[in-house]
Amino acid sequence: MHPLTAIWIKNWNTLCNLRRILQRESIFKTVFILLFAAGMVGGFFMMFLNGFQFLANLGGGGFMITRRLFSLFFLGLGAMLVMSNIITSYSTLFRSRETLFLLTAPLDTRTFVTYKFIESTLLSSWAFFFLMIPFTAAYAWHEKLGLIFALWTVVFSLPFVFLSGALGSLISLAAVRWFPRSRLVWGAAAVILLIFAIRAILQIRPVIQEEATFILNRFLPGLQLATHPLMPNNWTAEGIMALTNGQWLRGGMLWLVLVTNTALLFLLIQEFGRRIFYTAYQQVTGSPKIRRRRDELLGWLDRLLAFLPHDIRGMIMKDIRSFLRDPLQWSQALIFFGLLGLYFSSFRSFHYNEMPPIWRNLVVFLNIFSVSSVICSLAARFVFPQLSLEGHSFWILGLAPTGMRRILLTKFFLAALAMVTISAGLMGLATWMLQAGSALSLISIGLAVAISLSVSALSTGLGALFIDLKQPNPAAIISGFGGTLNLVLSLGMMLGSILPFGLIWHWRVSEGLADSLFIKANLIVGLWVILLSALMVSLPLWLGIRSLKNREY
Amino acid sequence: MISIQHLNKRFGTVQAVNDLSLEIPAGELFCFLGPNGAGKTTTIKMMTGLLRPDSGTIRIGGFDVQKQPVEAKRIMGYIPDMPFLYEKLTPVEFLKFVAGLYNVAPPDLSGHIESSLRQFGLQEARNALIGELSHGMRQRLLYIATFIHTPKVIFIDEPLIGLDPHSIRMIKNLLRAKVRDGMTILLTTHILALAEDIADRIGIISDGRLIALGKLGDLRTQSGDKGSLEDIFLNLTASPEPLNPSTPMAFEALAK
Ligand SMILES: Nc1ncnc2c1ncn2[C@@H]1O[C@H](COP(=O)(O)OP(=O)(O)O)[C@@H](O)[C@H]1O
Ligand SMILES: [Mg+2]
Repeated sequence: MHPLTAIWIKNWNTLCNLRRILQRESIFKTVFILLFAAGMVGGFFMMFLNGFQFLANLGGGGFMITRRLFSLFFLGLGAMLVMSNIITSYSTLFRSRETLFLLTAPLDTRTFVTYKFIESTLLSSWAFFFLMIPFTAAYAWHEKLGLIFALWTVVFSLPFVFLSGALGSLISLAAVRWFPRSRLVWGAAAVILLIFAIRAILQIRPVIQEEATFILNRFLPGLQLATHPLMPNNWTAEGIMALTNGQWLRGGMLWLVLVTNTALLFLLIQEFGRRIFYTAYQQVTGSPKIRRRRDELLGWLDRLLAFLPHDIRGMIMKDIRSFLRDPLQWSQALIFFGLLGLYFSSFRSFHYNEMPPIWRNLVVFLNIFSVSSVICSLAARFVFPQLSLEGHSFWILGLAPTGMRRILLTKFFLAALAMVTISAGLMGLATWMLQAGSALSLISIGLAVAISLSVSALSTGLGALFIDLKQPNPAAIISGFGGTLNLVLSLGMMLGSILPFGLIWHWRVSEGLADSLFIKANLIVGLWVILLSALMVSLPLWLGIRSLKNREY
Repeated sequence: MISIQHLNKRFGTVQAVNDLSLEIPAGELFCFLGPNGAGKTTTIKMMTGLLRPDSGTIRIGGFDVQKQPVEAKRIMGYIPDMPFLYEKLTPVEFLKFVAGLYNVAPPDLSGHIESSLRQFGLQEARNALIGELSHGMRQRLLYIATFIHTPKVIFIDEPLIGLDPHSIRMIKNLLRAKVRDGMTILLTTHILALAEDIADRIGIISDGRLIALGKLGDLRTQSGDKGSLEDIFLNLTASPEPLNPSTPMAFEALAK
């Protein structure tokens, strides 16, 4: 038997046993999860459909966006796949304990890397399908496309998933091999620089654009990149459309381009993996750097916090130190901020004052959305898993005479402090760059603070409710049921507080809402946001504390 | 069977393994003895190819672990101190997986697995998931898995951690029996009684250096210590100055 066959049989068995584990869980929970997933797909479908209708109602510009949205959507999904595969490959290739086991088996490195690449791509692709299915369904519905559209979507999606996954895995392998941990800061900086460089190169493209396209590209900076003829997402989107419209030759050619590129990357991974995996693995397991570590990191901060009760101070210092010592954690934080920098850098080209008021308003609220989504994903990524990551040492906290209430509240305050600082700063910067008025700036920053507080509490509370101390891998903790629920609720909270403001301000500019009514509406919505955040802060924390107290260790 | 020459490994400022050379013939049960942090695990990981030595060579059954890893791995087995197993597989599924991985298909694989499970007292647990087994049960399962491809050499890191007296007795008997059948076993431990009990030869390692090597009797005579292995061990590992690395075989040489 080829070793790979054995591995696939093993995976199949694991999958079957999952059913067994599910049977042991309460039916209620399983049904609830299934309904929840179905509800989410349905919700996304409605959201996308509404989006398409909204764009169609906008007229000219909206129509142009719709036509290109397909490319843009695949660009977004592709970027997401690459990012998540960088992280998943790192943990499946280097960090997973299976690696230790398989490396002592008579597998050659090439086989091993191939298997791990496929595994991590499949692992990170579920979110892709979860988003793609409702999006394409909504698109097909709106454009009245036939069922054949679904078939072509699948035919193109599969190679696209592997192509994006392969890019992520290659980056991950190369990063581990050539950027030793001690120089990870430089590694992250290089990645960010590279992204900027690619962006710059793609923008040099000297094309004569029609006026409308030009404005559109200003408005949605990703659009130009998304429709670039060298981008795989464009091959995918164009190819699907071509085949749906019966342009067999063009569609077939685009498919072949996609597939041959995927195959090439696959070969690259195998060859690359064979050559460098082992060395890279050595770099992860041992740290050959010669550097003396101080016996106490951030001692000054410890002394600075002396006014705090000593147990709380101890926990805070432990969390900060563990975070700084875990490259997996803070390198991701760095990349997060790199992407944010990219986002802000695209503001420069805005000619905000020349825009019609409706669009201006739209842009400000879109920005509130973007910054808030960043806050939600930061919380989902870093705050939610922090209790589970206590892992096997959780009993130490459990035994301590501190009490779960204090532990959880400390985690919440630390998270909230970080999130509020980051979000208020970002929002302030963004509104300043967009030259939004003072009222709107105030609302933006208020929303940022409210959302940060809610999301921190939600992530801490749900992190306690769905604590999983056996899982050392943050990626797995986040993509579990609790993590997904957390993300959805956070996004819900965010929409629930931003949308009402958005609507009032939209009416104000489009239909000329009367002054007194406008002010009153703002006050009411402000009150609603305050109430909502109070609820979102207190309820999850209360539930989390209760569940931690009732736990057995 | 195992041949190590001038092995070195450094972690940052720590010289974990320092110019270690060793020959272990086939059919011997060799015991690496040393205090915590002496470099036992690091040495074993290099022998299994998990770590790359900074310098030096390791041959297992004639295969260079760095240059012919797949061939070397085919004939060896490894039981780490913290055994990782697939939590979501049943023992039978796991054993079949290992058989596939090593490409061994004994004529009656299922029968073989059945009888091994019975022999190791795991037949009750055959349908449980590995994640639900106790530490000792996992350890026993790992022994079955390791023997499934009849390796010529096995490496065991701290074999007795977390085991009850029954399991300890069983594993000791098992290892002796396997050695009688010609298997070569290298195990590390800091438990002196174990080494005293079952080892053919003992190597004492401290600060990454091999500081004594030989049969128990040799060690006793040569250290001039009439006491137990414990006395010898404490005596040797506490001495601030380890033996000159150029004469690590001193005891053996003197014994002749
Ligand atoms: N991955 C690693 N990074 C840095 N130092 C290590 C690493 N692994 C082991 N060491 C160091 O190497 C020395 C030997 O460790 P080890 O081989 O585990 O000892 P033991 O004999 O207890 O098994 C110790 O000083 C330990 O701190
Ligand atoms: Mg050890």
